[in-house]
Amino acid sequence: MSDIASGIPAETLFNAIRQNNFTDVVAVPDTHVRTLITLLTETEDIRFIQTATEDEAVTLAAGLIIGGRKPLIQIQHAGLYACVNHLRGIGIDGQFPLVFMIGLLGRDPSKTPRDNFGSMVKYAEPLLEALEIPWYLLDTATDMPLFDEACQKAEAQNSPVAILIGEATV
Amino acid sequence: MTHSKTKMTAEAVVKVLARRRTNQVVVSTMTIMAPWGKEATTERDLRCVGFMGGASTIGLGVALAKPEVPVWILDGDGSLAMQLGSLLTIANAQPANFIHIVFNNGVYDTSGAQPTLARDAMSFADMAKSAGYSDTYTFNDIETLDSAFDELMEAEGPILVELMTSPIGKGYVAPTHPETEPTPALALNWPKVRQALL
Repeated sequence: MSDIASGIPAETLFNAIRQNNFTDVVAVPDTHVRTLITLLTETEDIRFIQTATEDEAVTLAAGLIIGGRKPLIQIQHAGLYACVNHLRGIGIDGQFPLVFMIGLLGRDPSKTPRDNFGSMVKYAEPLLEALEIPWYLLDTATDMPLFDEACQKAEAQNSPVAILIGEATV
Repeated sequence: MTHSKTKMTAEAVVKVLARRRTNQVVVSTMTIMAPWGKEATTERDLRCVGFMGGASTIGLGVALAKPEVPVWILDGDGSLAMQLGSLLTIANAQPANFIHIVFNNGVYDTSGAQPTLARDAMSFADMAKSAGYSDTYTFNDIETLDSAFDELMEAEGPILVELMTSPIGKGYVAPTHPETEPTPALALNWPKVRQALL
């Protein structure tokens, strides 16, 4: 089977983050987007804030929003599962426009995420749907307009959205 | 530091803090919310329920966004125990305008006063110091706290103040169930704080 997902260049995602006026990236390190993390830690115009857990990434991002900043949360699918209660209590109940960028580490790029065998990959989209959180899958660089759409959705609805990174960034 | 030496009530501590309240953003959570709410709430108060342990990192976000605004966290021992990693995250960020006040009463007050784990063996102040907070303090009696707090407010953060307090003893109060869906309290609260900080 041929691949339906391919690595998006880190520069492409970095430019999208900048063009959507994010001021901070709050992150738990993720192998899947390590090339992007390298770029983010080398720049000074977007602040990179590392947290020990994904719960803290959610609450810290909320605090930044209260203080007038615009954060992006960068985590991995396992981190999504780990922070569900904070995502519910802060993002959904608190009505914060949280934009999550979630790496689908280990995804078989020849299959859709939910057709993957691995539970970490295949349950990400169904979990987001159960929480009524809109998600946008970026399988290739041609999907990048969805990044902008996701950011606009979060702002318009004061609610969380998830941008899923389908293959490891290059 | 054992709870058998405890002399302070949370209500007395709240009065000490309330006398110093000026322009701080105060993030409170769980048991301490009620006594604090009676004393010193302003349009710069954030109240956190439903995501235990999250108050301190919400406050960290505000502190990083607004370094000119002092931020106080009114945390609980049970809450902090649920997010011990937050000590590392806060220490790593080094917010100079950040005072983390932990009410250590040794119990989960709202759920029936079950003991917190290792309450007589560990110290949150020691943990925070080890993590890299600029300084930490522990107080057992209200007079010492009262005389030290003005100087402590001038210290460069992040600092953690561990207060050995007695339980409040008021348990969980079940919410009412209205006919129509109310807007959650935090959703009503945070836009007002954001507006106050503009």
